[in-house]
Amino acid sequence: MNAPLLAVEDIGVRFGGFVALQSVTTAFHRGRVTSIIGPNGAGKSTLFNVLSGVLTPSSGSIRFKGQDLKGTRQHEFVHRGIARSYQITNIFPDLTVHENVRVAAQASRSRYNIWTNRNRFSELDTKADSALEAVGLVAKRDEIAKYLAHGQQRALEIAIALISDPEVLLLDEPTAGMGPEETKEMVALLEKLASERTILLVEHKMKMILGLSDRILVLHHGRLIADGSPRDIQTDPEVRRVYLGQNDGYA
Amino acid sequence: MDTELILMQLFSGVALGAILVLTALGLSIIFGMLGVVNFAHGALFMVGAYAGLWVASLTGSFWWGLLVAPVMIGLFGMLIEYFLIRPLYGRSIDDPLLLTFGLSYVLVEGVRIVFGTDGIPFPTPPALTGVLDLGVGFFPIYRIFVVGVVFVVVLLLWLGLEKTRFGLIVRAGARDPTMMRVLGVDISKVWLLVFGLGVGLASLGGVLSGPMRSVNPEMGSLVLAEAFVVTVIGGLGSLLGSIIAGLAVGIVISMTALFAPEMATIVMFALMALVLLVRPQGLFGKLA
Amino acid sequence: MTSPALAEPLPSSVRKPGRVKSLMTTYRVPLSIIALCLLPWLLPSKALAVNVLVYGVVAVGYNLLFGYTGLLSFGHAAFVGAGAYITGIAIGQFGVPWYAAVLLGVIGGGLLAFAIGALSTRTRGIYFSMVTLALAQLVYYVALQASSWTGGENGLRGFTVNKINLLGYDINFLDPVNKYYVLMAFAALALWVVSRILNSPFGAAIEAIRENERRARTCGYNVERTKLLSFTLSGTICALGGTMSALHLAFVPLDSLHYHASGMIVMMTLLGGASSFFGPFVGALVFLVMEDVFSLWTSHWQIIVGSIFVLFVLFLPKGIWGTFLARFVR
Repeated sequence: MNAPLLAVEDIGVRFGGFVALQSVTTAFHRGRVTSIIGPNGAGKSTLFNVLSGVLTPSSGSIRFKGQDLKGTRQHEFVHRGIARSYQITNIFPDLTVHENVRVAAQASRSRYNIWTNRNRFSELDTKADSALEAVGLVAKRDEIAKYLAHGQQRALEIAIALISDPEVLLLDEPTAGMGPEETKEMVALLEKLASERTILLVEHKMKMILGLSDRILVLHHGRLIADGSPRDIQTDPEVRRVYLGQNDGYA
Repeated sequence: MDTELILMQLFSGVALGAILVLTALGLSIIFGMLGVVNFAHGALFMVGAYAGLWVASLTGSFWWGLLVAPVMIGLFGMLIEYFLIRPLYGRSIDDPLLLTFGLSYVLVEGVRIVFGTDGIPFPTPPALTGVLDLGVGFFPIYRIFVVGVVFVVVLLLWLGLEKTRFGLIVRAGARDPTMMRVLGVDISKVWLLVFGLGVGLASLGGVLSGPMRSVNPEMGSLVLAEAFVVTVIGGLGSLLGSIIAGLAVGIVISMTALFAPEMATIVMFALMALVLLVRPQGLFGKLA
Repeated sequence: MTSPALAEPLPSSVRKPGRVKSLMTTYRVPLSIIALCLLPWLLPSKALAVNVLVYGVVAVGYNLLFGYTGLLSFGHAAFVGAGAYITGIAIGQFGVPWYAAVLLGVIGGGLLAFAIGALSTRTRGIYFSMVTLALAQLVYYVALQASSWTGGENGLRGFTVNKINLLGYDINFLDPVNKYYVLMAFAALALWVVSRILNSPFGAAIEAIRENERRARTCGYNVERTKLLSFTLSGTICALGGTMSALHLAFVPLDSLHYHASGMIVMMTLLGGASSFFGPFVGALVFLVMEDVFSLWTSHWQIIVGSIFVLFVLFLPKGIWGTFLARFVR
């Protein structure tokens, strides 16, 4: 039985009079890469915010491994196994790369320990270094994060999300602001991660999405208008209508 | 407890609340537009009171003091914004707070140097002394005047914000300063004017309160605390919140003074603590 | 992921701290204690030195919340005052031995910090500063009213500690040198505790919150609870400073609870430097020396101190010690 890992039912989000999401129902299965696409304002970030606990939906429910996540506070989502990265780089600017990841690793244990020297927890160091290795940042380990190049900061973004060993990884435009070279490297990284984890991706670069995804969801004006394999999506008439005139993005 | 006493105390509370409203509005406008919590607000209130007294003694008329002092101190406020606050733009949000805090020390000590450390009585203008018999009680004319002035000022402020182009810019700019720049509005001029306006409101409150409390260099510290309490209860950045909370706090203080005078100030803080427990963003504030 | 453009060695601000800085950080407690041992011989009066001890402890405790967690509280004088009053009342009205009175003061101050912290950490951003000021002002007015306990406007007196029995030895506490070194033991304890807290996993957590609260939350930190713990610890250390002050002066002035006193703590911390461990202590030293010196010249010394503070905010936000460390220590 292939029960879904993460399922949402009839999700609605309103901000006052503005409807950001409407009747979104879908499920995500273990080990697959699902991309969420749609024009700006379609509700992609809102959906991500709902899935990562930043926003409480006005209606509908989220179930993770069969459990209703209603009432779960935002910081508990990571402990349950859902981690995310941000579209606009959201790291700890004055800490070193290693410290950035290490403090993220620490969040699941001993975070109220006010007495033991933190360097005693060497397993956190090992975890941090292996996450840095996974994203290719080991060489920059002792650099202060705010001085990294943009592409490296995006990689650090992902490393921070990765460190909690999540079952579901939500990546919000990981290639935002990247040129062709950096995008290629990021795609390679994502392909490596995809072989190990369940990934939900929000992206604009069509060629990248088509190559990477097992499944694509299309949002428009807060509604889910299409849900299927890359082939299905490419031939869907509604999607073609919505996307008429959209760029292919980077090669 | 007879009705007459209660009514008079209630009215006293409204008069007290009116001054609180002015001060809190000034604070709220500055915060709403510039994102700055003006820790010198109480000190500027006090400076306004002294300025009013000084102008009145120069010209022999309270009315000149009332008119000129807020404008004078408002202009002084613009200088503060231009030379001291603007350089901090883009830095930590705490920096303007810290700077204005230090500034309050300078202002208070400055007043002590010029006017001395003892309090000075602020005489009630002859035209406004005495009481008015309204049937249900005798109401001090000066306090009726204060409530009237504040009402008119708030009305003008509301009209200005809702109906004029400048008001539109102030309301919109508070939401998106970058957008304002893009639209060609010189946001720095707006900051200057808004800061001056906020300070002007505080100093107006100072002049008005002069005849009600005597004037001394320390009077600003309680005023600052009061303004904070009102702003937290009403909701930071909300003008309606400042008005309602200001009046409410004034009335609560006044009524408590009737039954347990020593508890009056404490009750104000306790009220704030209660609001924090139940609704941390204030009655009309938005969650951060 | 490495870009070729970054192949050359980077300026030292980019790499992690060098040898001297690392050594100073590792040995910060012993080095601080050595500095404190020498202090009374470098200052014009022992009483001034004790004052520096007291406010140094308060500022270092405060900085746990301000410099390291990133929360600007304007109400910490309430905890200093609470520690002082409780100690004074315990000794004066209940005849409690001095060490028990100190313990009570610290615990009482800590509990007050927990209560005020619980209310104020419900607020975000700039609200926090206003709320802490107002709540501390509440404590001031309560102390003013409860004059049968606190002495009201006149402050608390009548609890002089003449001698201290330490490990079987009777020490004459009225001798300024003795008083200094006994209180220095308290200060050393406080510095050691704060240093351990900063080195702990919790220390990393509060830095993460200071750096990026939103991200800390998504990483899994319960931000509100962590802030509350930091607030409580910080208030407890300040309360220890308060007990030290009570023992020193044998008097607790009401004004020590006013928000002006809180503001003074903020100024000291900033003058010295909020980004370092020992900075606040340096700030307390500089502030108190300035006050001592300037008040000799004029009764209006506050205008000088206020102006200096404004200049620091504008031009020297790292403070004296912070700027010194940044420029000269690698």
